[in-house]
Amino acid sequence: MSEPQPTPQPEIEITGLSKVFGQGSAAFKALTDIELNIRTAEFFTLLGPSGCGKTTLLRVIAGFEQPSQGSVRINGQEVAGLGPNARPVNTVFQSYALFPHMTVAQNIGFGLKMLGRPADEVAATTADMLKLVQMEAMADRKPSEISGGQQQRVALARALAPQPRVLLLDEPLSALDLKLRKEMQTELKRLQTETGITFVFVTHDQEEALTMSDRIAVMSGGRILQLGSPSEIYNSPSERFVADFIGDTNFLKVKVVEALTETVNVRLPGGALHSARLPDGLRPAAGDDVSVVVRPEQATLGDGAKAHLTGTVTNSVFFGTDTHIHVNLEDGTPFTLRRQNAGNTAPPAPGTMVGLTLADGALQVIRE
Amino acid sequence: MASDPNQTEERHGWKWLLATPALIVLVLAASGPLMIVVLYSFLSPGNMGGVAWEFSTDAWFRVFMRRDIFDPENVTVNQAHLAVLWRSVWLSAQTTVICAVLGFPTAWFIATRPPGQRTVWLFLITIPFWTNLLIRTFAIQEMLRNNGTINTALMWMGVINEPIPMMFTDFAVLLGMAYVFMPLMVLPLYAAMDKMDFRLVEAGYDLYASRIAVLRHVILPLVKPGFIAGSILVFIPSIGAYVTPRVLGGGQKMMLGNLIALQFGQGRNWPLGAALAMVLLIITVTALVLYLRAVNRQEDKRDG
Repeated sequence: MSEPQPTPQPEIEITGLSKVFGQGSAAFKALTDIELNIRTAEFFTLLGPSGCGKTTLLRVIAGFEQPSQGSVRINGQEVAGLGPNARPVNTVFQSYALFPHMTVAQNIGFGLKMLGRPADEVAATTADMLKLVQMEAMADRKPSEISGGQQQRVALARALAPQPRVLLLDEPLSALDLKLRKEMQTELKRLQTETGITFVFVTHDQEEALTMSDRIAVMSGGRILQLGSPSEIYNSPSERFVADFIGDTNFLKVKVVEALTETVNVRLPGGALHSARLPDGLRPAAGDDVSVVVRPEQATLGDGAKAHLTGTVTNSVFFGTDTHIHVNLEDGTPFTLRRQNAGNTAPPAPGTMVGLTLADGALQVIRE
Repeated sequence: MASDPNQTEERHGWKWLLATPALIVLVLAASGPLMIVVLYSFLSPGNMGGVAWEFSTDAWFRVFMRRDIFDPENVTVNQAHLAVLWRSVWLSAQTTVICAVLGFPTAWFIATRPPGQRTVWLFLITIPFWTNLLIRTFAIQEMLRNNGTINTALMWMGVINEPIPMMFTDFAVLLGMAYVFMPLMVLPLYAAMDKMDFRLVEAGYDLYASRIAVLRHVILPLVKPGFIAGSILVFIPSIGAYVTPRVLGGGQKMMLGNLIALQFGQGRNWPLGAALAMVLLIITVTALVLYLRAVNRQEDKRDG
């Protein structure tokens, strides 16, 4: 994973950032040693469970919170000490925070008006923004008179109107129902491509993160655990937490039999040998016990002789496009595999002994 | 199953009957005395106070006009009464503005404390209410009089050589009323701020608004209902205030409440007192109507 050369100046550069709330024994460390570069015009996602510090990080970038340590640079300029009104970033709030006493158009024009732009420019940009989010018909309504999805669009238009360098989005889709959320995901991606503005998106929804992002930072306990593209995060999780948080995963205890440069050969429970990929910075030696992860779609039911793993089927769950088959391996470890429902093959009955074949490169060693 | 409309109506009739004791009390206690005041304002004054049962519009005439004692044909505007009326309205309006200007930061301070502390601050704001009004007013007098706390302190520090006369001035009355009625402004303002979504303030800052601009474009419009409620709650008791202008304003700086009391006491002109009380009621009701209209207009704007 080499950086493109020469490295362009990052849009947002965060170094050695920590944030502590409270003092003394009541102190709570919300962010610890955050190092992060966000590139210009990328869709960057901060992903993690609630309380992981992702919203605090967003609020530090926005200027609502000041860092306890470290620095934040936006477009090369140090922004410590600058308030939110002095930063070229705008926020889409989780609750939308539309001004209830203003119309949709007044809400959208507010930022430009505060920047002291002439009235005709405010009006023209507001009209453009209304068109961009397809809300022309609602311009004179109050926020209380439009639906949640429409409020979401207005909040987006309001934050985009002043043409910020960076748009910060704090779980903007969490209040919407599933269908609307899917629509808005596409919509957000379209807006980001059209405007070319850097998006920093906060979510706890791993599927949302995987489908929309150019890069994802997975956070837990105030730290960034892994940073990478959606496929890197999904296929090569470096930590147990990341593997567990994103998608369904099987964990296996294995023993390293041979250490190569990029990979290791490991002995699976049951004795079969298989190659496993290594995360950055982890080099186990032969004889070490390590944990590996296998995604459920990387295993197939095979015949006993060539199988890497064997076990007993406990049950099968039908999911429409695929079926999840739960297996207990010989040493008792539960293992789930996902099979596409292409043909009409019935899943094996509970109690059946099955062999499991793992795809090449299916195993990824993780840090505990 | 369709319900019988007659039965529903009958049940409503019974419910109405149950309310009659309360209605009787309301009619007797609220409307009764008011009717007596209206009636008295159209009667003639009795010799030793009270009223003589003789119809007269003289009381109403004398509210605004005066007739020369020696030359009954010489009718002039009753400037003494109009001055009292004007002072009442003007002092009450100023009291309302002072309470609003000082009450807003106070309410803001309370509303931005951690939730657990707010109760304590609200408690501190309402504590003066538990003390007798007269005692509190005398306490202010103690501070303002010529050899009171403020003048003594200023003279001791050498800022002034002679005491500044502050008692029996409009300033003294204003100070007293603003102090007494402040909680009535702070509480509705606090209620409005408590309901306010503080993320809107953040949204304002995020959209490049300065602190002043956030105050003007976001906070003030949102707490406006609190301002309107607080203003009415301060203005109405101010305009009828009796104790504060009596103690701090003395005989010269009279307000409507004192003038009314005078007519029922030394003045021995109950019909004039009753007419003045009606004038006070009319001013109060007008203020209330204006208030309700302002609130409705705001609601209309929000809905339409």
